[in-house]
Amino acid sequence: MPPTSTTTRPAPPRPSGLVYLGLAGLAVVAFILFWITRESGDVLLIPLGFVTLWAPLNPVIALVVMLAALALCFKARIGTMGAFGALAFIIMSYWAGATINFTLLEIPERWSNVEPRLMAFMDPNWSYIWTVRDQWLITISMAVVATLIGCAIGLVLAMYASPVSSPNKGTSQAIKAINSVIRSIPDVGWALLFVAFIGGTAHGLGPMAGILALLMFNIGIVAKLLSETIDAVNPGPVEAADASGANLTQRNRLAILPQVLPGFVSYGLYVFELNIRASAALGIVGVGGIGSAMMLQLNRFQFENVAAILIALIAVVLLVDMFSMYIRRKLL
Amino acid sequence: MITFENIDVVYPNGFKGLRNVNLQINKGEFVAIVGLSGAGKSTLIRTVNGLVPFTSGTLTVGDVVVDPRSKTKLRRLRSRVGMIFQSFNLVSRVSVLNNVLVGRSAETPTWRSLLGWYRAEDKELAFQSLERVGIVDKAYMRASSLSGGQQQRVAIARVLAQDPEVILADEPVASLDPPTAHKVMRDLRRIQQELGITTIVNMHHLDLARSYADRIIGMRGGEVVFDGPVEEATDEVIEQVYQRSLTAEDIVTADTASE
Repeated sequence: MPPTSTTTRPAPPRPSGLVYLGLAGLAVVAFILFWITRESGDVLLIPLGFVTLWAPLNPVIALVVMLAALALCFKARIGTMGAFGALAFIIMSYWAGATINFTLLEIPERWSNVEPRLMAFMDPNWSYIWTVRDQWLITISMAVVATLIGCAIGLVLAMYASPVSSPNKGTSQAIKAINSVIRSIPDVGWALLFVAFIGGTAHGLGPMAGILALLMFNIGIVAKLLSETIDAVNPGPVEAADASGANLTQRNRLAILPQVLPGFVSYGLYVFELNIRASAALGIVGVGGIGSAMMLQLNRFQFENVAAILIALIAVVLLVDMFSMYIRRKLL
Repeated sequence: MITFENIDVVYPNGFKGLRNVNLQINKGEFVAIVGLSGAGKSTLIRTVNGLVPFTSGTLTVGDVVVDPRSKTKLRRLRSRVGMIFQSFNLVSRVSVLNNVLVGRSAETPTWRSLLGWYRAEDKELAFQSLERVGIVDKAYMRASSLSGGQQQRVAIARVLAQDPEVILADEPVASLDPPTAHKVMRDLRRIQQELGITTIVNMHHLDLARSYADRIIGMRGGEVVFDGPVEEATDEVIEQVYQRSLTAEDIVTADTASE
């Protein structure tokens, strides 16, 4: 028998009906805005005998979805903030889709174009993978070199960036700012810069530019992740190292590094995986390797070869993934 | 050997950690500092090696006047002053031997520390320290695989590897069960007497303080309110220090002499 309670249980909270009504009003306002700013000419016609109601199709669908969502939230007693969030999400999605004309409807329209390419894709030319084995080597060596050097530099930068391990607050802020700048340029951006400054595959310097681009990309990631790990380190051993008379470098090496080592290896493997994928993408901007080969085949419409390369790429990334899980298990 | 003259510690937020502390601790003494939480015991201990900088007064350790702003002087001071902590503060993923070698950091050039390539003399000192606490058979084991009492003994070995003149201990046995607490305190007392090292220990267990110390200092509100040999530290006196009557938490249970 369940225990009898002398206190009455509280009723579940009910969100404010007034606010929901307000949100419904917001939905109607949004509907009007969609109507006014519509670009598509599709119209919904509802004949009612003596009068025909008409309204532009997409805004009506949006209104129905919004009101249905609000009704659902109210029924589920979702709080007003949550309902507002759902409404905002729908409005944003509609607005974004309308602005860039995103509907999947266009794919069936272009099917005559899509189909032969898709068919070629489904039938990969396996022997091509062997043909481009040199490119594979270039891609993987770019990834390895960039990972090793990037992790080393990232480690030093992280030590200076985290206030726990850096000599003073000023240095830490400065290095963090520099790191933010490095991270705000994507890997493709760095690749374009280096190819422009140093020269791409035409000069035989493609992989060099690729490694440099990946390096900048890696340093940004490793320094940020590692400095956050250093912030979270157990301060006890650090205090003990200080009390033994260690200088800053010694205490970082003896008390902080052993604690962040598992994280560091983890980030290194993560970055290696990113590098393999990135160097495939960077090939498009001229650093050589498997990306260049893929670009070439795409331009020649040889989709069987592209498919083969992609599938091999998936296999390589999966292998690296399994390898990194194995290493992590061994280390921890 | 350690002289506090009108020492004040005022924290950046204005809180007074220590008020006008005047103490003279002699060479080779084993001093226990007792007091409730927040009384200033940790602050007092940490001013000796500069982990907490004092804001006014003069502090002398040996023949050196402590200057909390000079990093190089602090390093040299800290090489002569060892400290053990309540939570042991060992580097868990690293071997016992390497933990003890951290104690040699002040005498080891930076490049050797970076590579982990210590001199043979330093390794010998580390092994001797481990032998002194009776735990040398665990030298190559990971520090985290040891029990609490063993870890604290490794911490003591780390301090001994510094060849210190002073040992500071901040609640060294608060995390240990009663028999182990007695064992560690006994080891500390034995080493202290064998080597003649001045030792200052914070603790809140009165029976341990009375069993192992020469002298007891009572603190309350950042001030020293009692200072005298162990015989004078009766229960009434301690109740005055605590401003409350003693409870069962103030003593550790009886020592199991079989250990």
